[in-house]
Amino acid sequence: MGGAFSQLVMLGSSGMLVTALIVLWRKGVPAYITAYRWQSWLLAALTATVGYYGDGQLYWVAGLLLGLKGVAIPALLRTMQRRFGTEREAAPYVNTEVSLLIASVLVVFAYLLGRPWMAVTQLPTRQGLPLAMSVLFVSLFIIVSRKKAITQVIGFLMLENAIALLAVVGTFGVPFLVEFGVFLDALMGFLVMQIFIYHIHDTFDTLDVDALARLRH
Amino acid sequence: MSLILAVLLAPPLGASSLAILVRPYQRFVGWVSTIGVALSLAASIALCTTVMGAGPQQEAVPATALWRVDALSALLALCVTFVALVAMLLGRRAGHPDREELARTRYFWIFTNAFVFTMLIAVTIQNVALMWVAIEATTITSAMVIPLTRTKASVEASWKYLLICSVGIALAFAGTVLAYFDFVATAGEVPGALNWTVLRGAAPSLHPALLQLAFAFLLIGYGTKAGLAPMHTWLPDAHAEAPSLVSALMSGVLLAVAMYAIGRWKAVVDAAVDSSFTNRLLMGFGVVSVVIGTFSLVIQRHYKRMLAYSSVEHMGLVSIGLALGPLGAFAALLHTMNHAVAKSLSFLAAGRILHRYDTTEIGKVTGLLRVMPWTGALFAIGILALVGLPPFGLFVSEFLLVRAAVVTGRFWVAGLVLVLLLTAFTSLVHHLNRMLYGEPPPAVTIGERRGWSVTVLAVSVGVLIVLGVTLPRPVAALITQSVRGVIP
Amino acid sequence: MSRYAVLVVQPLVALGLAPGLVGFVRWLKARLQSRRGAPPWQPYFEIRKLFGKEAVVSHTASWIFRATPFVVFGTSVVVASLVPLILVPASPLVAGDVFAAVYLLLLGTFFLALAGLDTGSPFGGMGASREMTVVALTEPTVALSIVALALSAGSTNFSQIVARTIAEPAAALGPGHLLAFIALFVVTLAETGRLPVDNPSTHLELTMIHEAMVLEYSGPYLALIEWGSALKLLVFLALAANLFIPWGLAFALAPGALAIGLASAIVKLGALAATIAVLETRVAKLRLFRVPELLSASFVLALLAVMSTFLVR
Repeated sequence: MGGAFSQLVMLGSSGMLVTALIVLWRKGVPAYITAYRWQSWLLAALTATVGYYGDGQLYWVAGLLLGLKGVAIPALLRTMQRRFGTEREAAPYVNTEVSLLIASVLVVFAYLLGRPWMAVTQLPTRQGLPLAMSVLFVSLFIIVSRKKAITQVIGFLMLENAIALLAVVGTFGVPFLVEFGVFLDALMGFLVMQIFIYHIHDTFDTLDVDALARLRH
Repeated sequence: MSLILAVLLAPPLGASSLAILVRPYQRFVGWVSTIGVALSLAASIALCTTVMGAGPQQEAVPATALWRVDALSALLALCVTFVALVAMLLGRRAGHPDREELARTRYFWIFTNAFVFTMLIAVTIQNVALMWVAIEATTITSAMVIPLTRTKASVEASWKYLLICSVGIALAFAGTVLAYFDFVATAGEVPGALNWTVLRGAAPSLHPALLQLAFAFLLIGYGTKAGLAPMHTWLPDAHAEAPSLVSALMSGVLLAVAMYAIGRWKAVVDAAVDSSFTNRLLMGFGVVSVVIGTFSLVIQRHYKRMLAYSSVEHMGLVSIGLALGPLGAFAALLHTMNHAVAKSLSFLAAGRILHRYDTTEIGKVTGLLRVMPWTGALFAIGILALVGLPPFGLFVSEFLLVRAAVVTGRFWVAGLVLVLLLTAFTSLVHHLNRMLYGEPPPAVTIGERRGWSVTVLAVSVGVLIVLGVTLPRPVAALITQSVRGVIP
Repeated sequence: MSRYAVLVVQPLVALGLAPGLVGFVRWLKARLQSRRGAPPWQPYFEIRKLFGKEAVVSHTASWIFRATPFVVFGTSVVVASLVPLILVPASPLVAGDVFAAVYLLLLGTFFLALAGLDTGSPFGGMGASREMTVVALTEPTVALSIVALALSAGSTNFSQIVARTIAEPAAALGPGHLLAFIALFVVTLAETGRLPVDNPSTHLELTMIHEAMVLEYSGPYLALIEWGSALKLLVFLALAANLFIPWGLAFALAPGALAIGLASAIVKLGALAATIAVLETRVAKLRLFRVPELLSASFVLALLAVMSTFLVR
């Protein structure tokens, strides 16, 4: 495993971070779905690369990732988006420029957090660790700062991607049974969220999370 | 997998599958569920007796690759099955103010059984990542039941619950991966590396800084699920809007299962780092939870939200207990048990009140003792138990907690806890008084038959009294052995 | 001695190529839009025409108005001698420094903004304020993207940076490199007034940024400013091309190497100019309040580039 492997892993992880930033930059939901799809494909490609240099079992994981997160979930998201087509993240809680600046602060924070790990391990993929943490924090920020329920779901899905990246890059994948369980959870979680988005739209006639503010002290 | 374990786990799964497969005959499904959970309860009692007889080996049944039931698991399985049985025996009428609809009933049985099943898996499995999967599954299954009546409030509550808890759980998984990463970096990939016994064994050789970071993630993640402040924001909404049966399960035992996960990880991290780190974190979150929970009780206007904030407070107390060494851990586990019984009792009584009065506001519920003498009395007993009055069990556990704080030299914690308990006592009793006495509202029918539900709830009261007046020897022994699951 | 001769010749070559570059972009855009378009050497004729015309200067203008065209032109010429266009500046003089280049260009922009205000025309003031908004947002990005390269090379000297990239081709694939390149490209579009930040061929004053500032200029002054702006575009593109894809640059003074350097410079600049033309045909101009979004995004990319190179060493 040489410098090319490390570079590829870093490239893929940076790509995933850039796709997360796209959600903070753009305003239309179709752009978010495309960004998520790119992120999942990058994750699958990364997993396959790590599988090529390491454990062959990761090929199955990469395949599952591609099928589930790269194809199935974006298709479901697109169906949802066509149903609620007029939703645009026009006025999020934090505006675009400030969001991007906060995202850069989060990236720096993730790098600072990641220094002790990078010192500990000799894995060739260790440079992807702080990038995975950055994607995690940026996804958290997306969930917190966006107003549309569908954007929050996409933020959550990116969070799951970030954790999958963390598992691949930090540990060359967790045991297969665990991966399978995590997939199932991710799928169930997403399906339930999808059901809820339909509930919200039926009950409130909008996907604006602002409307979900009736319950107070 | 041994037979007892199968009897523990299979009935809720079977009932859930039956509810999926069978469309009509939901009353029949309801009876099957109840009998199934009774079987699970019997199995958990069997597990408890076995684990106490097993002595220092600490395993109730021979551990397999996936499952391992020690005293702590058995204790929690007992709590889960007991609360589930009480809730199911009360039937669905406690949860529904509306007329019965077949689809909603079916939904209810499918997801509540699945919920119980996932909780039982979470406490008996020894692979920490699969435990995570089970806890995430509890979020999903319980979230499906909350918006059973499709109102704006319940949809909002369930969306918040789903999102916040899923985010928290994802952070907990990040913590799990970090700890696993540390293990792999030092020991290489070993089959069974994610079993917490293996992790605990290898802990002294892991890197302290990494484990500290992992524990921070895990505490924030599972703490969100356990309702520790400041991640508790989903709790009042979700527990208040859910059907009362589900609220009883969630408030009573789901929070305890999340604290169980934290406790297991505490044992792993403490073996590597000096326990003062985890203790400080747990203490911090615990104190904040108790403070926020208590002060939110003062200004409450809805009785179910009041009960929910009380859960936040009690989980804060459990967290403080876990941070106070073996004595505190004993108090914490006893408190978990007592709280499960008392909270489920209160929520189930609250459900019956809601069914009769059709309002959730404290101000609109008056004359409870005249309208529903039995339920009113039971509700009052539940609230009095929750504020820590003798002769109920929570008095004992809170006393032990304060004693543990004093013994370990943390006088300020003891003082703070006492002051806050007094505040909570005042607020809850004040609200209770407003509800119990006074003129009943005109639209409400007066009088109540002493039925099956009342008897079941009275049994809960009996359990509370027994735990409070005399802590039975077997229970004390079980809890003492469980403490070793948290503090090795 | 001959080294200094080349350092004089390089800006002359740049001066010669610059209008052709602008003309090439315009011609390619026209072709992409199914028009015939003016030939690529049209700007040369325009500049010659302008030099022959009379300069009309407002009474209320001060010395700044008259000085600015020279400042703009002069700084562009000086920077053209600093950046690696054909030859990598081999001596570790202060003159070879990245920050000197960037801030000399900024000096020109600053004077241009002042000149826009100087005449008292409302459009000039509007253009100046818009330009300052854009520049304030691009400054950190320019600095960061070049710092990203400088960090891995260990110096802000052009020759060191180029030498480092040639010595380690694998690093050119690294995310730090690529992200910094994208950030610098976006900044180029912003600083030189191309779409999607500013439309260089607009005639509607309310949509102008750069053109509004030079609205009052005429005659030789306008010629100098146009030439200076074209040179600025060439310098930025040369920076982008030769810092990130340095193969072909001459290190020695041999005529063969210089010829290869010239040819590779023309090829790389042509490629980048074609990219700009295609981009300008595809995207629409951003509304002004959305320009900060684009520039913040490029800032974050540059920051990521610095992160990747800095904390991974």
